[in-house]
Amino acid sequence: MTAATSEAKAGRSKQSELAKGEQRLAYWLLVPTLVVLLAIAFYPLGSVFYSSFTNDTFASAAETDFVGFQNYSDLLSITFVELDPELDDSGQPVVDPETGEAEFQSPVEALPRDPRVYREVFTFGLFGNQYTMGATDADFILAIFDTLIFTVATITLEAVIGLGIALVLNVPFRGRGAMRAAMLVPWAILTAVSSRIWEWMFHDTRAGFFNVVFQNLGLSDGQTPFLSDESFQLPAAIIIDVWKTTPFMALLLLAGLALIPDELYEAADVDGASKWAQFRSVTLPLLKPTLAVALVFRTLDALRVFDLFQIIFAQSKYSMASFAYYELIDSQRLGYSSAASVIIFILITLFAFVYIRGLGITSD
Amino acid sequence: MTDTTAGRVATSSRTDYEAIAEAAARQRRRKKLWSKIGFWFLIVVIAIFLLFPFYWAINSSLKTEAQLRMTPATFIPRDPVTNDISITFQNYQAAFQNDTFIRAIWNSTIVAVSVTVIALVIGAFAGFALGKLRFRGKTPSLYLILSMTMFPQVAVLTGLYAVILNIGIPAIPSMILSYMLFTLPFTVWVLTSFFQQLPLDLLQSAQVDGATPFQSFRLILLPLTMPALVTTGLLAFIAAVNEYLFALTFTTIEPDARTIPVSIALFTGQVSRQEPFGEIMAAAVLVTVPLIVLVLIFQKRIIGGLTAGAVKG
Repeated sequence: MTAATSEAKAGRSKQSELAKGEQRLAYWLLVPTLVVLLAIAFYPLGSVFYSSFTNDTFASAAETDFVGFQNYSDLLSITFVELDPELDDSGQPVVDPETGEAEFQSPVEALPRDPRVYREVFTFGLFGNQYTMGATDADFILAIFDTLIFTVATITLEAVIGLGIALVLNVPFRGRGAMRAAMLVPWAILTAVSSRIWEWMFHDTRAGFFNVVFQNLGLSDGQTPFLSDESFQLPAAIIIDVWKTTPFMALLLLAGLALIPDELYEAADVDGASKWAQFRSVTLPLLKPTLAVALVFRTLDALRVFDLFQIIFAQSKYSMASFAYYELIDSQRLGYSSAASVIIFILITLFAFVYIRGLGITSD
Repeated sequence: MTDTTAGRVATSSRTDYEAIAEAAARQRRRKKLWSKIGFWFLIVVIAIFLLFPFYWAINSSLKTEAQLRMTPATFIPRDPVTNDISITFQNYQAAFQNDTFIRAIWNSTIVAVSVTVIALVIGAFAGFALGKLRFRGKTPSLYLILSMTMFPQVAVLTGLYAVILNIGIPAIPSMILSYMLFTLPFTVWVLTSFFQQLPLDLLQSAQVDGATPFQSFRLILLPLTMPALVTTGLLAFIAAVNEYLFALTFTTIEPDARTIPVSIALFTGQVSRQEPFGEIMAAAVLVTVPLIVLVLIFQKRIIGGLTAGAVKG
């Protein structure tokens, strides 16, 4: 063994010593984070999975039993039934004298009640027939539908309006700084606070802003119960959420727009490209990564919406999360609520995967 | 004769050209003016869209109970009889005398400050390790942290609540600990990218001078990352003040621990049986103004932090 190699060996072992030290330090530095996440994320998540297979309840002396997939089946069982037309004594279909439309039996009669009772989620007409969708837990199925509609509507509107605002504010003008500051206002207002403000604006008399506006426009008598009337509930929630989060989206997009080099637009100008063509072939493709990330975060947020629904609707309309909350706190059904939570978790994880795959985001 | 006709034609065509050019210029100017008017119209519409609800809250907070019940609602507080402008501060007085609300401000401050400090300290440790040190298992750790930033809180609600009830942890420490769920991964993620951008040679020269990795972390990297810490800290603080689901659940059996969002959501007046919207709006304005001031002071950093957190994703 020559001196040189032994020296090299010593050097290497010293280096690996250093590397080992670095590795050890890294693990020690990561320990607190991992311990905290273990305690508040992984352990509770495991226990939620576990209790979702039981009939555990709070404040009950009853023994907790394993019920297998019972909770899931109760939450998710749906059925479609065709409604029979209403027949009169002579066997002829009954027709509504006012609308001239055929009458059908009530969904309650048509839905199965044995072994489990199905309740109506919604009824729809198709090719002159009437069908009803029933579910063993109509509230939860409706909560899933409503949350999905809410998500799709808010994300679309936020992306479109946010992009519009970002494009307008990307033009230099006097007062741009003030506008950027104003954009932080809806973001800075606590969700609970903004929900209460909008609740008051949607008040069901003309003391509320929207009823004044609707009446002045001749659209209503000024007594519209926006937050308790089924047909206005979701639109109201969507408007409130769009107001609260569009500025955030616009700020992200504005930051994305600032990254696009001016030369590209200059070159497009020289080539005689119209503004619309520039938008389509320069702005949009280069903005896509920013837009994609913003969309992912907003979708995952919208799917777990809780504050807004709980505050303005309480139990008159559920989001998936507020359903789980009320099952836990009001009904004290730990097992059932856990199963709902697991379903939400799986849904959100699926969305995250599909999104990240589909949009081609990489982590580094 | 032909000459004069030709001359006349020439002059007339010259004036035609001038007229056309002038008309075109006028049209261009008019078009420019219209696009300018259109632009400012858009700006005004956007500004109203952004600010009107908060204006409505201020407007309502300055009305008496009688003024609030006026129909149609007025856009500035007016006297129901004389229709003169008349404002009142009684809602603000009531909010300040509302013990529940004052306690909520206090609770929120304790919770949010503790969450921020703890998340920053442990987040900086992890961010340094992930951003600057070489070790086995780094990529999986990064993926873990990233996926945790998207973790839905409601998924662990029942599990956390059961643990808290079984062990009997009071609501405030429960909130502080559980808020790590959404503040810590975000803090680690943003700080990791900040640490990554810091030049390595500083660290190496410190090592050559005989500093231990921990010393170089404390003496060199930490001061350099102060701006990043302020930004992330602020975002964590706001997220913690905003949190509602855990706060509402954990304070069900301990109303004294209610935080601002819970107290605003469950606001009940001391006198009136109806929902006291005047007082609620006053409370809303009171908690919003400091937040807006805070956000405006740090606006550049917040936008930077939000984009770092999101665009990096």
